[in-house]
Amino acid sequence: MIVREASRFASDFFIEKDGYEINGKSIIGVMTLAAEQGAELVLLFEGDDEVAAADAIAALFEEGFGEVK
Amino acid sequence: MSHKPKVFKKESITVDFLVEKLRNRVKIPLESCNDQTGEDRKVTESNLHRPGLALAGYVDLFTFQRVQVLGNTECQFLDHLENGARIDAFRKLCEYDMPVIFLTEGNRLEEELIQICTEKEIPILVTPLPTTEFMTAIREFLLDQFATQMSIHASLVDVYGVGLLLVGKAGIGKSEVALDLVERGHRLVADDVVMVTKKDEQVLMGSGTDLVQHFMEVRGLGLIDVRSMFGIRAIRFQKRVEVVVNMELWNPDEEYTRIGMVDDFYEIMGAQLPSVKLPITPGKNVTVLCEVIALNHLLSNYGYDPAEVFAKRLADRIQSKGGNAPSRGIEYFEHDYE
Repeated sequence: MIVREASRFASDFFIEKDGYEINGKSIIGVMTLAAEQGAELVLLFEGDDEVAAADAIAALFEEGFGEVK
Repeated sequence: MSHKPKVFKKESITVDFLVEKLRNRVKIPLESCNDQTGEDRKVTESNLHRPGLALAGYVDLFTFQRVQVLGNTECQFLDHLENGARIDAFRKLCEYDMPVIFLTEGNRLEEELIQICTEKEIPILVTPLPTTEFMTAIREFLLDQFATQMSIHASLVDVYGVGLLLVGKAGIGKSEVALDLVERGHRLVADDVVMVTKKDEQVLMGSGTDLVQHFMEVRGLGLIDVRSMFGIRAIRFQKRVEVVVNMELWNPDEEYTRIGMVDDFYEIMGAQLPSVKLPITPGKNVTVLCEVIALNHLLSNYGYDPAEVFAKRLADRIQSKGGNAPSRGIEYFEHDYE
């Protein structure tokens, strides 16, 4: 879901966990994070539509990806 | 891209991990002298130390946090001491919280001295290898463990033995090119996330991540396990990164190289890698271009530069014939009309 959302934007998007950083637009990349619920992630956006992209991804997290209630 | 990718390195490894890897990967015979395994003892740097002076009593600047190696010198020094003095000297040494002690060349310590280590929970191991040989091997291993690493969003493929790193924006087709290369008999190292380790000033080693290994994701197809689909010949676990292929959409304002193929450099963790900027246009077979880039890299490794060779040929022609109109490449067509 993160990847699908991020790919709609032109900005570069990176996710970092414990010093290990991947491209947020790559499914394999996001999976290698093996981020469990409650994991601490740093999200980094960079580009022309970075604010819109950040808002969209932040909204995803806030909604709990439509799973967590 | 102004964004600086994160570089990271291990902060510590445990002693039992170190011993296990030395035994099974580096193939160093090691025998434990006490029952300490060092599961919670940590090695934090790649440097080694021989505590000769510390044994003699000079402990200022004693780098006890390093891996300690007792060779012939240290063991013979201990031997020449009187019984009481020997135990005192060794006890003083063990006041310091050393991660692990290695004895080389099959040197043994007396039971009383080993006992002191056990009390302090310091693992002590013995190897038959000569000191310098052992130190070179363990240092090499530790340097690799504490090398700087980073993850790169790219694909790494071994093409004719040349490690090609395909980089470019998400969705430009790195995975597709990698898959095409695999189909043509080349070997995939990693797709999407390449872990790059700096082995030497200008040497970078690439591999996949432990979780993903040789899975790849192709848009429109989903996840593919290259290893089970194409077999063991289609993969590699590690490869030096030698040439960077920078894929980007054709940009009419950008100037692309027309004669010299590799004239650009791509920096990864301070290492300068030759790179080729490859504009992507419809109908272009990027896979074949990648093969040619790899072959050209091989040629230049053996000292052949096509641009240079052609320039020399041209210069010779201008000198000898004074710039005649170009003539056929063949003097006389024989009668086979082929």
